[in-house]
Amino acid sequence: MNHHDHTPRLLAPAARVAGLPRRTFLAGLAAAAGAPLLAACGGSSGSGGSGAAAQLRAYSWSAYDDPKVLAEFTAKHGPKVIVDSYSSNEEMIAKLAAAKGTSGYDIVIPTGVFVPQMAANGLLQELDHGKLPNLANLDKAFQNQEWDEGNKYTVTKYWGTTGFVYDTGVVKRDLKTWDDFFDAAQKEASGKTSLVDDPGEICAMLCFARGWHQSTTDKAQLDQIETFLVDTLAPHIAAFDSSPGSSAIPQGTHVLMHCWNGDARRGILASSEQDRWKWVLPGPKTNLWMDNWAIVKGSANADAAHELINYVLDPAVAIKQVDFVGYGSGVTGSEEEARKLKLGLIDMIFPSAEQVATMYTGVINEGQERRMAIVNKMKAKAGA
Amino acid sequence: MTSDRRVPRAARRAVPPGLLATPALAWLALFFVAPVGLVFWYSLGRKPGLYQTHANDVLTLDRYREALGDTFLTSFSGTLRIGVTGTALCLAIGLPFAYWLAVKVRPHRRFVVLALVLVPFWTNFLIRTIGWQVVLSPEGFASRAMQSLGLIDAPFSMLFTRGAVLLGVVYNYLPMMILPLYVALDRIDGSLREASNDLGANRWRTALQVTLPLARPGIAAGLLLVFIPLMGDYVTAAVLGGARGNMVGQLVASQFQQAQNWALGSAMAVVLIVVIALTILATAAAGAVCTWLLTHRRRRELAGIAEGSAA
Repeated sequence: MNHHDHTPRLLAPAARVAGLPRRTFLAGLAAAAGAPLLAACGGSSGSGGSGAAAQLRAYSWSAYDDPKVLAEFTAKHGPKVIVDSYSSNEEMIAKLAAAKGTSGYDIVIPTGVFVPQMAANGLLQELDHGKLPNLANLDKAFQNQEWDEGNKYTVTKYWGTTGFVYDTGVVKRDLKTWDDFFDAAQKEASGKTSLVDDPGEICAMLCFARGWHQSTTDKAQLDQIETFLVDTLAPHIAAFDSSPGSSAIPQGTHVLMHCWNGDARRGILASSEQDRWKWVLPGPKTNLWMDNWAIVKGSANADAAHELINYVLDPAVAIKQVDFVGYGSGVTGSEEEARKLKLGLIDMIFPSAEQVATMYTGVINEGQERRMAIVNKMKAKAGA
Repeated sequence: MTSDRRVPRAARRAVPPGLLATPALAWLALFFVAPVGLVFWYSLGRKPGLYQTHANDVLTLDRYREALGDTFLTSFSGTLRIGVTGTALCLAIGLPFAYWLAVKVRPHRRFVVLALVLVPFWTNFLIRTIGWQVVLSPEGFASRAMQSLGLIDAPFSMLFTRGAVLLGVVYNYLPMMILPLYVALDRIDGSLREASNDLGANRWRTALQVTLPLARPGIAAGLLLVFIPLMGDYVTAAVLGGARGNMVGQLVASQFQQAQNWALGSAMAVVLIVVIALTILATAAAGAVCTWLLTHRRRRELAGIAEGSAA
C-alpha cells in the first residue's frame, strides 16, 4: 500500500516524532484518529533490536496458541507474550498497512496466500534462518511453498481445512458433499444453519460443489454464486459465525455449521454429548490453507520473535499446540506423535491422504471485491 | 482590603469569555470535525487496486451511487425497524418507571433504585450481551428452567430471532432512557400536579396535559440518547440476532475491515449520518406539530373559559 504517494504529512515532521516514544505514541493516536495520515510520519524504522525484550506482542487468530506453551516460553526465555486477535487476514493487513511499522506488533500469523502481498508492501521482515535452528524440524511438505519460496518471510504454523458439523439428532441422514450441505440447510436445518463469516469461504462452497476454481474470477460463475447465495441459501441462514466451536456447538445453538476442522474439534470436545455431532469433510473438493509465523517489519523485538518461532518448532512443544487448537502443525512427525499420545478426535486434525488429495488452496485476485459484495448482499437478505 | 478584592476581579475580567469552552471545542475539532471531514473526503475517492484502500486522485460521486444500492437499502430498513421499535419500547417501559421513581418512591430510597438501574453498567456491555446469548440458547438456563417446570416440552430457541435482538437492545439501552426521564420528571414541582387536581383535572388529564408536556425535554433527550447509538450499534444485534440482526453498521465496518474499500465505506458512513440526521429532524418536526396542535387547542379552550367568566 503505497500511502506515500497521496498521504499528506500531518502533526509533526518525522524528525520530531522520532524523539517521542514513537511506538506507543503513534499506536495510540493512530487508533484514535485517521490512522493513514499518521502512517506517513513513521518512516523506516530500525529492524533487529535488543535481545532483552520484556515482552513480545503477537497479532493472531483467536485462541491460536496454548496459553501454557506461551507461559513456558516466558519462564524459559524471558519475554512475556501478549496476544491480540483478529478475525480475518484483511483486518490484520489493514491495521499493519495503516501503521507502517508503528503498529507495535512483533509477530503476525498471515494465511499463506496473503504473504506475497504483505511482503511486497513492506509489512514483513525477512527471517534470519541462523536464529531458527529448529527450522530443520519443519516437514519438507510445508517448506518452500509457492507463496514464499525459501521461507524468506514465513514458517508454517498450522494447516487446516474447511467442512461442516451437523447435529445427528436432527439431520438423520448421511451428509457427504457440499450439495448435501445445501440440501440439509434448506430442509431439516433451515433457520438453524451457520456459515463462517469469511467471504472467500462462503463463495467457495458453490465452487467446490460445481467443480469451479474456488477463487474464480469468471463473471458468469460469480453471477451464479450470487443468485444461489442470495436467493436460495440466505433465507435459511441463522448466523455468520467464524468459530461455532467456541459456543454454538457446546450450547447446541445450530443444527448445521460451516466451520474449520480445528474449531469443530474444539467444539465437539467441549460438548456434553460428543456423539451427537458429526464432522464432514465435504466432497468433491474443499479448501486447504496454511497459517504462518511472520515477523512484522519494524519490530523492535525481532530477536525475541525468532526465539519464540524457534521454540514452537520444537516437536515436544508443537504437539501441545496441536492438541490445543486442533490443527496440524508443519513439524515433522507431529501426526505420529499425536497418534502415540492418542489425542482426542485425531482424525479431525489429520485427514487421510485421500481426503487431503481433494483439497487445494485459493488465491487472492480481483474477484475479491465482488465476493465481498455478494456476501454483504446475502447478509442483507438473510436479515430482511 | 479593597485592592485585594479588586485584583482577582480584574484578572477574571482579563479571561476571554470563550476560554472555558476551548478544551471542549478543541476536542470536538480534533476528534469529531477532523475525522468526519476525512471520511467525507475519502468518500469522494475510489479504491484504485486490490491492495490499496483508497485514493483521491479522481474526485467522483460514484461511491454514493454504489452505497445507495439494494444491499444498503435493505440493511438500512432493517436497522431502522430495530432502531424505531427498540426506542419506542424503551420509552414505553422507561416512562412509567421514571415517573414511579420520581414521584412515588420516597426520596431517601430513590438513590438505591437509581443505583440498581446503573448496576448493569459496571459490566462491559459486550459481556452482558454475550450473557444473554448463554441464557437464550437452546441448552441454556432459560430453556432448561422452562422445560423442568413443564412449560415447554422441547428446547426453545429464542436466540437468533428478532425478539432476541429487541430484548438485547431494550436491555442495553433502557438506562439511557430512564435517566433523562427521571431528571425531567423529578424537576417538575409537585404543587403543579396538585393545582391541576384542585382545578378539577383527573389523574389522566394531569398526566397528559401537565406532567408530560413539562417532561418533554427529558423525553427528547432520552429518545436521542437511545436512538442514535442504537442505529450505529451492530454488536448487540449481531450477537443475539445472528443473521437476523444484520445492521447497516456491519456493512460499513466490513468495507473498512474486510473489503479494504475505504472510499465506499466512507460514502456509506456519510449516507448513514445524513439519513439518521434527517430521521431525527423529521421526528422533531412531527413532535413540534403535535405540541402546536395541543397548545393551540387548549389556548382556545382557555379563551372560551375567560370569556365565559367575564360574561
